[in-house]
Amino acid sequence: MARIERVKRRVLRQVVAENLDVIRGVPPRNARNSAARVWLRRTPVLLLVPLTLAAYLARGSASNRVAPPTSAAAAVVGGPTLLAPETSTSVERVTSAAFPLAVKRVVLDAGHGGSDPGATAARVSEKSITLDIGHRLRTLLEGEGFEVIATRADDRTIALKERARMANDSNSDIFVSIHVNSIIKHTASRGIETYYLGPPSDPSLTQLAAAENSVSGYSLADMRKLLDGVYADARRDESHELASIVQHQLFNTLRASDPGLENWGVKRAPFIVLVATDMPAVLAEVGCLSNEQEAAMLARPDYRQKIAEALFHGIRAYASANDGPKKKGTPSHG
Amino acid sequence: MADILHVGIDLGTSRSAISASNGERFVVDSFVGWPLDMVAKKVLKRDVLIGHEAVSNRTMLDLHRPLERGLLKEGSEKDVEAVRELLRHLLRLVGVNGKTEASNVRAVVGVPAAALRTNKQYLRNSMKGIVDSLLIVSEPFAVAYGLDALLHTMIIDIGAGTTDFCVMKGRYPTEEDQRTLTVAGDMIDTQLLKLIEERYPQANVTVYMVRDWKEKHSFVGAPPSPVVVTAPVKGVPTELDITNEMKAACETILPPVIETMIDLLARIEPEFQERVRTNIILSGGGGLIRGLSDALENALKSVGGGKVRYMEDPVFIGSDGGLALAIDAPEGDWEKLTA
Repeated sequence: MARIERVKRRVLRQVVAENLDVIRGVPPRNARNSAARVWLRRTPVLLLVPLTLAAYLARGSASNRVAPPTSAAAAVVGGPTLLAPETSTSVERVTSAAFPLAVKRVVLDAGHGGSDPGATAARVSEKSITLDIGHRLRTLLEGEGFEVIATRADDRTIALKERARMANDSNSDIFVSIHVNSIIKHTASRGIETYYLGPPSDPSLTQLAAAENSVSGYSLADMRKLLDGVYADARRDESHELASIVQHQLFNTLRASDPGLENWGVKRAPFIVLVATDMPAVLAEVGCLSNEQEAAMLARPDYRQKIAEALFHGIRAYASANDGPKKKGTPSHG
Repeated sequence: MADILHVGIDLGTSRSAISASNGERFVVDSFVGWPLDMVAKKVLKRDVLIGHEAVSNRTMLDLHRPLERGLLKEGSEKDVEAVRELLRHLLRLVGVNGKTEASNVRAVVGVPAAALRTNKQYLRNSMKGIVDSLLIVSEPFAVAYGLDALLHTMIIDIGAGTTDFCVMKGRYPTEEDQRTLTVAGDMIDTQLLKLIEERYPQANVTVYMVRDWKEKHSFVGAPPSPVVVTAPVKGVPTELDITNEMKAACETILPPVIETMIDLLARIEPEFQERVRTNIILSGGGGLIRGLSDALENALKSVGGGKVRYMEDPVFIGSDGGLALAIDAPEGDWEKLTA
């Protein structure tokens, strides 16, 4: 009994210390310690998003999914082999505090394009709105000293895989994808929402992501590998922070022009451009074309300029929080 | 000085439970609804409805389920307000007037094992003004603490939104000791509804009905008895045999749960693995799935065998653990943990 009481006192001290760290904004204690030891060979653990998406894509029968895996079991039987330090897969948690970021180069991804118009309304299409906002945002960012990589500069079809490749090859610091919503079942509603990578907030988002991802250019096998990275927490923390700032700026700026605009918040979803990019990445739905009033607003250049400015202020605020923007020619930390 | 009330709260996606130091315990469905219009308000005679009452009157309500995957939804003011209403309701149930006595309440709230710091901070901010002091802990850790199972134990806590794993090594679990899967009760509901709709396309079935059926009849492995339920088919109450659908839906959680359990076992120092394997505890609503502990024990045979126990009182096991933590935490610590 004395032993359990000692253990209790110890864990109580630790749990209080962890809570105080959260209150003070100090990184978690275990993140400040060395990496965890691994006693046996790792077996990748497929979490919900891979399962959900794979199930959605494969549409197999439920009975096909119940066989218990055996590879991990075999690994345990295999005995206590001490392995090399961890390098891989999906579930190891790292915190963003270990990677202070300097934002120098920004990828702007104007959604859709070419043969893929995205959402459409009477006078406008998503592909033209996102491209125009992308151009305006580029001008603002370059004026502030950011380098900008645009995944498309004109009206052309570019696969999602190619967009991700461009972002990754450019060694950019953040990725911002610009989209416009269309919710046919709720044409009375209009709002702003910003996504970052993570398990979908609700089942409809999984389907939305699967639909958006259907022309990604990735095979199912590729997809599984990509999804292994869904829980890479360092990037997710940063993406969440970027999404929160962008959403805040978008909503607060645009509500002044449209008091009926709703704040649909920051959400998680496995969009391919968020999964396949290596840097903090967000996808902003900057308006809603299915709403007649909003479609009319989006057709106006001055409103699109406001959207671009809101995105610019969001990106700049995020950059400021991460050591400030680096001007052209300034070496980055990375 | 006013009396201090310690409470443990298991804030769940589907249900939330509270255990208080005055001996009161309650569980409510985690739903909050506001009347849609003046007519609804006149009929319901209430500004806000919570729990089962909210679900029952959902056609007249702006209904919110503010916790998803065990966490407070971010960016939605309405969901923040919903979770605050839920907390006030839970505290009222155990005798606290949420408006005037908040300074007397010290709460321990369980969250999913893998909750990020930002999630915890968000929850902490949302609870301001409702409780005086707040300690946020990993939910499976609260379970372990309540059971005095702090050493060489694995907790598998299957809720609606998340399944949480935690290996207790005589210390507060680190991230390496814990996992959170979003494969949980809600996923079973979704799958079961889909399978029933495929087999009985004429039947009129909702996710609420499916959830009730799951809670009464869930199982994995061999069916303990046929699962026959009643649902309207073209308006006529009709008996439907959903035995195969129930089995298939419940068994969808097995592969990821088994894989994660074995992966965590593989990370334990070799000399302690057997002790943990023989000391696995199932908690949460998912612990009520018949045959689950047997299925997990079968999976453990290939790694040397093990023992999976199911706790008899899974609904309050988390909140009771939270209460134990709240009572044991030193006075001086509570003063630092003001909400």
